[in-house]
Amino acid sequence: MRLEKCWFCSSTVYPGHGIQFVRNDAKIFRFCRSKCHKNFKMKRNPRKVKWTKAYRRLHGKDMTQDSTFEFERRRNRPERYDRNVTEMTLKAIKKIDKIRVDREVRHHKMRMKGKKAFEQQAAIKELENSIDLVKAPVALQQDSQFTLAKIKVKVSQSQPEGERMEE
Amino acid sequence: MSALLSSKLSTVGRSLIRSFGNDLSGAKAPHETMTNLSYQYLFLQQQRTFIQMRTRLKVVDNSGAKRVMCIQALKGRRGARLGDTIIASVKEAQPHGKVKKGDVVYGVVVRAAMQRSRCDGSEIRFDDNAVVLVNKQGEPIGTRIYGPVPHELRKKKHVKILTLAEHIA
Repeated sequence: MRLEKCWFCSSTVYPGHGIQFVRNDAKIFRFCRSKCHKNFKMKRNPRKVKWTKAYRRLHGKDMTQDSTFEFERRRNRPERYDRNVTEMTLKAIKKIDKIRVDREVRHHKMRMKGKKAFEQQAAIKELENSIDLVKAPVALQQDSQFTLAKIKVKVSQSQPEGERMEE
Repeated sequence: MSALLSSKLSTVGRSLIRSFGNDLSGAKAPHETMTNLSYQYLFLQQQRTFIQMRTRLKVVDNSGAKRVMCIQALKGRRGARLGDTIIASVKEAQPHGKVKKGDVVYGVVVRAAMQRSRCDGSEIRFDDNAVVLVNKQGEPIGTRIYGPVPHELRKKKHVKILTLAEHIA
């Protein structure tokens, strides 16, 4: 049993799923589901289709080089069965997965690092430019702060009990 | 007729015909029924079906024949699939070969555009419909086979074909 990678989206194809397409030059394309298969038939390039791993790696959205990927290399030589080795491998898989996920989270954080500051700057600019949408120019002359005016609204306290419950 | 049309189209590449035929009616499986697809599908996809009477197939060995037309699928009410044997008539042949035009021969389907399920649950499909000519006993007439072949042939006991093949998919 082998877990393959989908040619289009690079997700794992588990046994019992997907279609294999063999081209006449004997190149085999495996697809995880008909979505990928149909996109392939449409001759779409996975590097240009936004939700694929190929696109994300190419555009720096996901980690490209990491030592945890070395463990997932395809090995063609079968290993002799050894109970201890199997046990250790299973434990190692869990640990490596955790490490990989942590590193991906860190990569994402690094990618999103300047976002808050950027958004603040953009908001300040927008406020300066379009203050007249929320504050009259006359009021701006009197009080030249970029703040909204405080409006006092009278709220009647006496409300019948039935109406309050029917919220 | 529809089978001829579809095989001609498949040689043009992946040019696509609006189709959503259903596999229920075997011999007259319609390839080009016009139905209302959802408008998301800007492309049009082909529905691949069985190899039946009048299906033209490519011959991928050096027996001398080039194109062959199926006249009977030996097993299967709706037609032959990957790994089945068919009876075919040679439509086009090379000048000096073991078979000539108009011969009635047996053949084993080694590549089929229609997907076939495997015992592990996955499906396999090839790019075209191809056949290897055999004699009544199941031994190949030619001595070389071109292109990939599936390992469904092993179950069907076509071991000789597998040994001659250059790539087993």
